[in-house]
Amino acid sequence: MLVAFGSVIGILGSVLGVGGGIFIVPMLVLALGIPIHQAIAVSLVAIVATSSAVASVNVERGLANMRLGVALEVPTALGSIAGALLASRLPSNVIQLLFSLMLAAVSVSMFLKGRGSVKGAVPAAAELRPAGGLDAAFFDPSTNSHTAYRVKNMTPASFVSFFAGGLSGLLGVGGGIIQVPVMNLLCGVPFKAAAATSNFLIGVSAAASVFIYLKKGYLIPELASVMVIGVLLGSFAGIHILYRARSEKIQAAFSIFVFIVAVKMFARVF
Amino acid sequence: MENFSEKRFGRLIQRTLLSGVFLSLFFFLLGFAFRLSGSGSAGLLLRTGVFVLVATPAARVAMLVYGYWRTKEYHFALAAFTVLALLLVSALI
Repeated sequence: MLVAFGSVIGILGSVLGVGGGIFIVPMLVLALGIPIHQAIAVSLVAIVATSSAVASVNVERGLANMRLGVALEVPTALGSIAGALLASRLPSNVIQLLFSLMLAAVSVSMFLKGRGSVKGAVPAAAELRPAGGLDAAFFDPSTNSHTAYRVKNMTPASFVSFFAGGLSGLLGVGGGIIQVPVMNLLCGVPFKAAAATSNFLIGVSAAASVFIYLKKGYLIPELASVMVIGVLLGSFAGIHILYRARSEKIQAAFSIFVFIVAVKMFARVF
Repeated sequence: MENFSEKRFGRLIQRTLLSGVFLSLFFFLLGFAFRLSGSGSAGLLLRTGVFVLVATPAARVAMLVYGYWRTKEYHFALAAFTVLALLLVSALI
């Protein structure tokens, strides 16, 4: 059952650019009665697996923007360490409330943008990409064309990435649920590339947090390994879906998914 | 020095990630096989699998440092090196 559940998480993770922690943690806690700290540790290991498997393919296909990924990894990793260290001191209900409100706003914004014309990109010719810059291009088989884009607003994106990294340590999620909208809406990266780049970088934030959970003895290797096997099976299937699907459809699915998470988090506060 | 192209760089990162994923998967499957046969070393194999998997992103970041150094994009090499240092800090905390 866990392998099957992990497979579904793997598909969702690779298509939506999230690690699946927001599903894994509640499932382990509510359905299996696993203590929250152990559930978070297992979730973080599964995120590392999804991220590594999916990124390996997306990097080779040119879908993941490695330069953007490494630029955002610095604040994300910093936030991840800070989140893990502050986990026990911050009032979780306040964070959850703010987080749920922000997610709701993001989901509505992404849904409206997905329904409009846009694919999120600021058009740019591939040859305009300056050497060493963050701008990139990728081949999109769903439109049978190359999509080039420019990356903007890196300073605010770095601040939000710090917050996304903090969530990784605090709640056992990879932070993709924030990274994807940030790259898409704030940086102007097309949704597919944003999802692929998010998958590329969330492995680092999850790994930074999992080291801390490992040292505290929270990880159950048997449970983590079963979950990882399932997640890897799903991830490789999901990569194929991401590559072929149309950006607008994934974007609409992602906005609905984010809204459901926002409502669930909001409900947990009260 | 031969040309270190974008494609070769991408392939290096891909191989690093896939090696970590498949090596950890190998340890997990071996661990389960040992568990079924009642061997006491099953736990050690599963823990090794977890360690290999968690170390995979760090190995990938190390390859980024190398790759960006080779392509002379020193600011990205420095960013990757900073991430590597942060991962080390998190392991030592």
